[in-house]
Amino acid sequence: MVQDSYRELFFSESQEYLTIINKCLLRIETNSGDFEAINEIFRCIHTLKGMSATMGYDKLTQLSHHAEDLLDELRGKRKKVTPEIIDVLFGSVDILERLIDAAKAKKESAVDIVGYVDKIKKIIAQKGEVLVAAPAPKTKGLEFSEAEAAWIKELKAAGLNIIKIRITLVKDCAMKEARAFLLLTNLKMMGEFIKSIPPVEDLKDGNFDLSFVFILAVKENIQAFHNKLSGVAEVEEVFIEPVEIGENVPGAAQPQTTPSYIKKIQSMRITVDRLDKIMNLMGELAIAKIRLVQIVQSLKIKELEEVSFTLEHLTSTLQDEIIQTRLLPAAYILDTFPRMARDLAKKQGKDIDLEILGSEIELDRVVLDDIGDPLVHLIRNAIDHGIEDPEERKKTGKATQGKILIKVSRQKGQIFIEVIDDGRGVNFDEVKRIAIKKGMIIEKETSVLDEKRILDLIAKPGFSTAGKVTDISGRGVGLDVVKTKIEMLGGRLDFETKRGSGSRFILTIPLTLAIIKAMLVRVKNEIFAVPLMNIRETIKIDEDEIKALQSFEVTRVRDEIIPIIRLEKSMGLENPVLDKGLHNERKSVVIIEHGKKALGLVVSQVLGEQDVVVKPLSSIIKKTKGIAGATVLGDGRVALILDTISLV
Amino acid sequence: MSKIMIVDDALFMRKMLGKALTEAGHEISAEASNAKEAVEKYKKFKPDLVTMDIVMPLMEEMDGIGAVKEIIRIDPQAKILVCSVMGQQSLVVEAIRSGAKDFIIKPINTERLIEAVNKALFPGDKKIN
Repeated sequence: MVQDSYRELFFSESQEYLTIINKCLLRIETNSGDFEAINEIFRCIHTLKGMSATMGYDKLTQLSHHAEDLLDELRGKRKKVTPEIIDVLFGSVDILERLIDAAKAKKESAVDIVGYVDKIKKIIAQKGEVLVAAPAPKTKGLEFSEAEAAWIKELKAAGLNIIKIRITLVKDCAMKEARAFLLLTNLKMMGEFIKSIPPVEDLKDGNFDLSFVFILAVKENIQAFHNKLSGVAEVEEVFIEPVEIGENVPGAAQPQTTPSYIKKIQSMRITVDRLDKIMNLMGELAIAKIRLVQIVQSLKIKELEEVSFTLEHLTSTLQDEIIQTRLLPAAYILDTFPRMARDLAKKQGKDIDLEILGSEIELDRVVLDDIGDPLVHLIRNAIDHGIEDPEERKKTGKATQGKILIKVSRQKGQIFIEVIDDGRGVNFDEVKRIAIKKGMIIEKETSVLDEKRILDLIAKPGFSTAGKVTDISGRGVGLDVVKTKIEMLGGRLDFETKRGSGSRFILTIPLTLAIIKAMLVRVKNEIFAVPLMNIRETIKIDEDEIKALQSFEVTRVRDEIIPIIRLEKSMGLENPVLDKGLHNERKSVVIIEHGKKALGLVVSQVLGEQDVVVKPLSSIIKKTKGIAGATVLGDGRVALILDTISLV
Repeated sequence: MSKIMIVDDALFMRKMLGKALTEAGHEISAEASNAKEAVEKYKKFKPDLVTMDIVMPLMEEMDGIGAVKEIIRIDPQAKILVCSVMGQQSLVVEAIRSGAKDFIIKPINTERLIEAVNKALFPGDKKIN
């Protein structure tokens, strides 16, 4: 059953096509040589046919199919436009319109199409005056799929020449796969690449003798193209000939096949490099904008303020749009998981149902690239350690089929991915026992272990509670890798578990890595950006509220004792002479947290929130502890972005 | 006579390439032994063509591919031939993606080298039948 939203789209779009067809028919009625109009009608009818077939409207499909055949004759100059043809086409369009109306009203139309179909067939069968007699050169051994044939038609309709290029490399050509790739790269710059024989994959792997064929749609005539191609070495021979798509192309003339649904280009591929460049430029633009806004504010000119307000709005909208272009649905990686879970479970003799919620939620492709492995690991863990054998589940009164749920949700600038299983949960006593045995903790500590500490333990390199090492997990590469990876993305891993009823791992990751929300703080004369995601709160305290405890300082916030760091000290901004007397000032403290650990950063002043564009640091200072990157502020100053995770 | 810059970390290769190219009537306008130097000298000498070894020691995070990218960024019209050895298909492919015009495989066959250089310098000059 086709959804109503598609119906709506079908009716609105098909109406547009009918309008265009009518307009173009009028054009060819006055000028029978108007091939642009003929092509346009052909395109519309073709699309309409595809849409109708998709919707299951048989009569519409059939009539448009025959009309398309007739138009193809006109287009291929095998027939001349006659008043009779125009009449038949107008009549057909009227019938198409009535059929669409009937479909809209969800009625089976009584309109008879047989009359028109016969008329069209008759016209096609007539031996018309052939305008161009030259027979199309046969392209032997070339087969096009239906989709390719349709695509080629579109390209031809757009006025491009379809050519077949056979390239033979010299006999002792070195690294012929790279040579083929170079030729392919060059050709792609010269025209629309349709296909290659053998397929591109085989070319890249070198699975060909010495020659291969490219099918290309190009603007130039063949000679001009020939000249362009000669700039590549180690090519023995280039042979180019036009490709004619004959009647025997599948899909073009067989009434029974399902037509493809070709629309005007609505999406296109952009290389990630280019997107990154755009993103970078957007960052620069955002910086320039902030600078401008600051200047405008100081000038207090009303008109300028209005313009600057509009500019501000536009840039932030543009920024959002650009971030959107970098996003891909989570399904991109999640879709492979059910199959993987099924296979793994089967190997272990377990019965597991993997459910995925929210796979339509979109994430930055960089983030997506990086969370695949951690997620696989968590799922493997759940199957291996979490879910019990069917018998064990039966004994504890659970359904024999274990459940794993992957839930993706989004809140503001953050994505949450939860991996939930209904297995046995983490055995705290077992974790403690192993941790003590491995010398990770001492016995005394075990009484205060909460979930957070347990996670820390099981996420330590080399920790494994599994009784035996399986080929699925427990091979030493463990949660520590997951945790590190997520933290590298500026996210965090949380964990909840309940003995006997399962565990839940929660990945919190930023929507995008390129622009983050940050709190700007001043430390002496330097400005630092603290990622907002990690900030719990900011408070003000007096100097005497800071207490020394062993080697570090702490302060009390409500009932909690929080260690503090004086950023001026840790960032080397102290000046004992000039700083005299400043110690009595009230101090601003930004409290950051990571997991359940918190840390107060003592700063000179909290300046406010701002979107900052993250610029990576060069290799020399990349590894400086506590610094994640740099950003340029509105006034052109550089601020370092604090890496809160390594500080806590 | 075209100005050519040779980039290779091995002096031997630079001399060998230099000899072959001068004998074919080209002028060696610059030589560079690492990626960073290559980019700087490209800016300075603006050669008509660059031969670039793609496997060179990292110099300030930049390797041969990095140099190809950087030169193409500075001058999208730059003509770069990469030199590689057998078995480095993926590097060669990466270099082509980054904008290299052609590649030659070591050990260098002088005839092939000159063919590749001339075709890159004067595309369309010699007709391919």
